[in-house]
Amino acid sequence: MTAPLVILQPGNSVVTDLGRTKGPAFGLPVNGALDQFSAKAANILAGNPDNSPLLELTALDFRMRATTDLLIAVTGAPLDLTVGGRTCPQWEPVSVRAGETVAVRGIHTGLRAYIAVHGSFTVPALLGSCAPDTVVGFGLKLEEGTELPTRVATAPITQPHFGLPLFRLGLTRPAFSTHPVIDVTDGPDVDEFGDTADLLFTSQYTVSPRSNHIGLRLGGALPERQLSSEVLSRGVPVGAIEVPSRDELLVLHRGRGVTAGYPVLAVVTSRSLDTLAQARPGHTITFRKTTVAQATATHRAACLELDRLRSTIQTVFGLLGIGAGERWHELSPASGS
Amino acid sequence: MPAPSTLDIYESGDAALRVVARSGDADADWATVHSLAGWLATAGVDGVHGAVPTYDSVLVEFDPYLTSARQVRAFVLLAMRQLDFAGTGRRKPRRFDVPVVYGGSYGPDLERVAEQQGFTTAEVIARHTGKTYVIRCLGAPAGSPMMDGPEFPFPVPRLKDPRLSVPAGAVSVAGRQAVIAPAKAPGGWCVIGQTPLTVLDAAREPLVPYVPGDELRFRQIAEADFDSFAGQFLEAQP
Repeated sequence: MTAPLVILQPGNSVVTDLGRTKGPAFGLPVNGALDQFSAKAANILAGNPDNSPLLELTALDFRMRATTDLLIAVTGAPLDLTVGGRTCPQWEPVSVRAGETVAVRGIHTGLRAYIAVHGSFTVPALLGSCAPDTVVGFGLKLEEGTELPTRVATAPITQPHFGLPLFRLGLTRPAFSTHPVIDVTDGPDVDEFGDTADLLFTSQYTVSPRSNHIGLRLGGALPERQLSSEVLSRGVPVGAIEVPSRDELLVLHRGRGVTAGYPVLAVVTSRSLDTLAQARPGHTITFRKTTVAQATATHRAACLELDRLRSTIQTVFGLLGIGAGERWHELSPASGS
Repeated sequence: MPAPSTLDIYESGDAALRVVARSGDADADWATVHSLAGWLATAGVDGVHGAVPTYDSVLVEFDPYLTSARQVRAFVLLAMRQLDFAGTGRRKPRRFDVPVVYGGSYGPDLERVAEQQGFTTAEVIARHTGKTYVIRCLGAPAGSPMMDGPEFPFPVPRLKDPRLSVPAGAVSVAGRQAVIAPAKAPGGWCVIGQTPLTVLDAAREPLVPYVPGDELRFRQIAEADFDSFAGQFLEAQP
């Protein structure tokens, strides 16, 4: 309906959402944004439903040009964001004027960043999700010159007092570190590893460059399975930690094959999966044992934080007339008649 | 009516439970976990994304903001009581016929498997084509039909060095299992042949034509006939 976004420098970017939750029952991984908290926050800050299609950038610089006025929000790992050459804040809504270039440079400390656009994009879906699936060969490929159809134009929001930030929403940004601590609960097969299971908590692990959205490969002291019996293929959760070889620990992420025949030593908590999504090759990881009850409480606290942000945004955008435009006009008496 | 099943339920992180059926009867356990997955899918339990049933277990995935491991465990037990009462109503299986070129570049591990089983390659092919397989579950990658393997004397070891790429249509065995690869993917199973049929069609839903419980037979074709099936989809027999 509106003029598209034009990709100038795709870097390593995809259009994704929160994932294909219907996929696993059909043998497809859930996929979707690897750092779910940052992805949800970007959509909320852009006034979108949490699950709207958005851009996920991994490691590399990225540029795109708006051909209409847009409202965007950039979250995830620390980076330098410029719009039309002006430095702009991350984790805040940002206005982009038609013709301006949005540039993301120097993603650091973490690995992935998210760009949400108010109104989102029109993109194809499979089983209710636009998330790419590299195995099935589904997903929009972003290349130089790719045009992403946006759905809503948003007139620039101007701040009369030059120099003051437009928004100050007070979201607690997640911490980013080159030595992240990752919470895990005991896996269903922890007993098969005997005493060696504790190695997971007394060692440090280094992220291998062979890590990706399917799983992170970690070098370090490896727990060893004490049995040699065969395991029938079964469903494995996102976050499952396995020891498939003598070289590396494998931590499955959202692109994981839904079934596997390796015993599950431990499972990364939902909240720590977001932290893991930001771990770069070379970063050092420490695992910490927690309980399902504690992990659930931590996850819910993060969700509540996002709920508060959503209600703040709805109030602010409501006052600015963003997102509720048509209804506002319907309710207003016709002027000048 | 099936005998009430014994279930073990394991925590699998804060967003999943692994439920394992342990009646001692593999067929009964398989029926139980698939009925349970079906019940959870149709019951529309708040916060439960879905269930991944395989042979004797089902992984139940949920959003820990909307529900909890404790609540989902209670739902699973409720489901089991209802299933024990109602029985596992099974639909009539459909049948699939899968033409396969065995050996050579189509099945690079055929000779290895023959040697390991103490068979000629012809005997391996005879065992592989001599059985009606029940599709036990849809697995990785891309909705692969996972089946109990052919009648071999020994389990088939997985490759020590998994291949980085196995083509779509690859027909493989490993352990006591058999499978067809719907899409190109890395793989550590022994590839003994390849079907020229297209199994996965990303342009339609469902992506693959079979469901767990359907039946499948392999049929040997000559290498010269491989191309004559080009572009044809795997379809259920009328």
